[in-house]
Amino acid sequence: MLEQIIIFGTLSGLVFALIALGFTLVYGISGIVNLTHGAFFMLSAYIYGILIRFLPNFISLEFPYLTPVIALILSTLFTGIIGSIFYRLALHPILGDEISILVVSICGCLIFQQLIFLIMGSLQAASFRIPSLIHGIVYIGSVRVLTRTILAAFVSILAFITLTILLEKTKAGNAMKALSQDLEAAMLMGISTERLYIFTTAISACLAGIAGIMFTSTVTESVSVAMWLDCLAYSFAIVIIGGLGSIKGTLLGGLIFGYAQAAANIIIPYAGYLQESFPFIIMILVLIIRPKGLFGKRVEME
Amino acid sequence: MIMPLLEVENLTKHFGGLIAVNNVCLQVEEGEIVGIIGPNGAGKTTLFNLITGYLKPDSGRIIFKGEDITGLPPNKIANKGLVRTFQIVRPFRHLPTIANILVALQSNRGRKRIEWIKTPERKAMEMLEDVGLSEMMMEPAENLSHGDLKRLEIARAMALEPELILLDEPFGGLNPIETEYMVKSIQRMHLDGHTMVIVEHKLRALMKLVERVIVIHYGEIIAEGTPEEIGKNKKVIEVYLGKGEGGLDARS
Amino acid sequence: MMIIETCKKYLRKTYTEFATHVYDIPQRMLALLILIIFLTLPYGGIDLLKTLPWLTTANIMAILAVSWDLLVGRTGQMSLGQALFYGSGAYGTALLFTYLGWPLWASIPLSILFGTGLALIIGVPCLRMKGPYLALLTMAFPLSITGFLYYFRDIFYGETGIPPPRAGRLPSLFPYPGRFSLFDKLIADYFLSFALMFISAIIIYKVATSKTGIVFVSILDDELGAKACGINVTKYKLMSFVISGIFGSLSGSLYASLQKSLANPPFFDLLNSVIPIVATILGGIGTIYGPIVGTYIYYTLDKYIFHYVIPLDKNMRLLIYIVVVVIFIIKWPRGIARAIVEKLEDLQEPREIEEIKKENVRPGE
Repeated sequence: MLEQIIIFGTLSGLVFALIALGFTLVYGISGIVNLTHGAFFMLSAYIYGILIRFLPNFISLEFPYLTPVIALILSTLFTGIIGSIFYRLALHPILGDEISILVVSICGCLIFQQLIFLIMGSLQAASFRIPSLIHGIVYIGSVRVLTRTILAAFVSILAFITLTILLEKTKAGNAMKALSQDLEAAMLMGISTERLYIFTTAISACLAGIAGIMFTSTVTESVSVAMWLDCLAYSFAIVIIGGLGSIKGTLLGGLIFGYAQAAANIIIPYAGYLQESFPFIIMILVLIIRPKGLFGKRVEME
Repeated sequence: MIMPLLEVENLTKHFGGLIAVNNVCLQVEEGEIVGIIGPNGAGKTTLFNLITGYLKPDSGRIIFKGEDITGLPPNKIANKGLVRTFQIVRPFRHLPTIANILVALQSNRGRKRIEWIKTPERKAMEMLEDVGLSEMMMEPAENLSHGDLKRLEIARAMALEPELILLDEPFGGLNPIETEYMVKSIQRMHLDGHTMVIVEHKLRALMKLVERVIVIHYGEIIAEGTPEEIGKNKKVIEVYLGKGEGGLDARS
Repeated sequence: MMIIETCKKYLRKTYTEFATHVYDIPQRMLALLILIIFLTLPYGGIDLLKTLPWLTTANIMAILAVSWDLLVGRTGQMSLGQALFYGSGAYGTALLFTYLGWPLWASIPLSILFGTGLALIIGVPCLRMKGPYLALLTMAFPLSITGFLYYFRDIFYGETGIPPPRAGRLPSLFPYPGRFSLFDKLIADYFLSFALMFISAIIIYKVATSKTGIVFVSILDDELGAKACGINVTKYKLMSFVISGIFGSLSGSLYASLQKSLANPPFFDLLNSVIPIVATILGGIGTIYGPIVGTYIYYTLDKYIFHYVIPLDKNMRLLIYIVVVVIFIIKWPRGIARAIVEKLEDLQEPREIEEIKKENVRPGE
């Protein structure tokens, strides 16, 4: 039983961490709580689902893995672009007004939800299945694990590493780090906050996109127009455990959340319906005990 | 022996690896007017934050009127009669000027201990008259000039009829006329019997007011004495010269 | 005779009061005009069957919006979870009715108590939270309740929600006597909900303009500064939560009495947290009239314009509102109603400083 908790906890924890990564990145660098993160998560999954169906018409069947990979790349890129456009149009003009940013970003989620609903036409059409990437089962020790779960965890690790490299080694990444540490100094050095914020949003939207595709193709195997709420639920829980704005914190937060959920699934029978509330319950518990999470950034006076 | 109004014993505060306040001890007698000076980042505002409860010290004690107030939250400390102003003015922007004062009068101290003649609005108007802001009474605080806001800070602090006032850079950003006015206001408050501790960079204005000066550098007290003594103190001059700011008298 | 003299004196006094305090002030005249319109609406030849129900709903939801505005616009505690109070009020009423047989209208005071208790419980963790964490936490609360509603389906009836007293019964706010016709009931509901909304608005107005209300705004503007003034910020935040909770659950209770299915999980939906926000932003955040006006704008659009004038699909409508809200937030962050009021203030004749000094001091409404 313990091995189950550890293995499932780690694997799912990594995926959850990926879901929250974009959200935490935007907050850490620009101080914006961008709730539209959930919409990007959802949008990318939908685009992926559609591309998966139509691409095989254009690609020869010699390389069966090409379709998902291209679909992934295309939907992630598209989501990144849409994300930065949305940010520039709707969020950038009201920077500094925290209440409005929260309201507008929630509205963003609703806008995308409605758009998808309208384009798909009906509730049935909007909730279709996403075929999983790979099939198969492996045994880790005595625990039976689906290979696609391992794939998702692996992609998540890749994403974390890539992001860290981006922040440490590239000029843009260094500029982003500078902004997060000392806004005034960075501005004095001539860093354009507008372009960097747009870039940050684009990156975080891409991360949300990858997370969306991974989550739907390996965990839920379906999409729905309310997906963005699930994404936000997980993001909140993880970010509160690990602290908003810290990448390390998100990784740890995701893992802790994964273990907690794995343990809860085993300990509480028929937890099916409570599953929905689980991220929120964790959130509330953690916030009661430690209001700023484990590694929260931007700690204020007192 | 008369007990000092404020006693700070071995106060220390770290931020991560940085020591902001290092084993600071000081005393303030009732009726005194003390100045605290030191280069930027020396820990003066941190010291204020520690004394007034906005930060919790890592070690040490703060004793006010014989009572240990270490670790109490800021509002409780204010209600005991120890109030402070802020370096960067923070008025209640959406409220009219007079309402800014009314907020202070809504505290426990404001409601239980202060005599209002007829209504709290009367009392608030008096406070505004004392600092010359009565015409701005109904103006939303956000429309006030910087000089007016500095005076509002003082009025707000005085509304609580404190025994000890900590003023954090009261002359910051004031032109010479406003500075003179502020000097006179502080002198009047001192004559009324209020004990004051003032942190300030404008040394000429400060030295005119205070009886005793404490110099802080890197979180430690490096000198204490009358304004004349401090002006001649070699260590202090080094600290200021070393930072490229010229002699003490050259400042402001 | 003495009585006639006293009456005349009183009438004269009232008239002078009216002339100086209302007639000269354009905003108050406008408010009076709107009030008169609302009171005579059911007799103005409109189609009662179609319009009154949603007007009644608008009255009820206006209470929810005002409760949100007090907490967020006036005390600065960002709440994305007003649906928590709304749903609790509804379930409170429904549970009292179903299990204890209390008539719907009588259970309202008790469900308000329930809402207050809930506010205290959730308020406590919220008090230590700032900014984003507070917003996330408040958003989480109502969304997490649905899981419990399903899990304990024996008590809460799960997805379908608590059923109404009699299937097919036309719901109304109050058990009116049998001889009331359908139209009479609709009109009565409308006036009852309007009265309740009006009273709620007055109460919250009184709170907002009291010294307590001034302290609320100080917390909105600068919490640390308020502490420096000796204010027990925690106590006042909790007070704001509780008042918001009281009126939030009131609106939920009222709506449950109207709804066909008494209380069901969708009461806790994010939508019921978002509508008051949308309404308040349209009307003007941080005012009392803003959320009310905004709610009416929203419902007029939703139930009238997009129903009869330009019929639109439900989802299309939602999309449009949201886009409109976003545009509003970006271009007119202070709301339409407020902009109008401020324009009217410019028309106002300048008054003597003495007169202003006599009045109670209060923050900009």
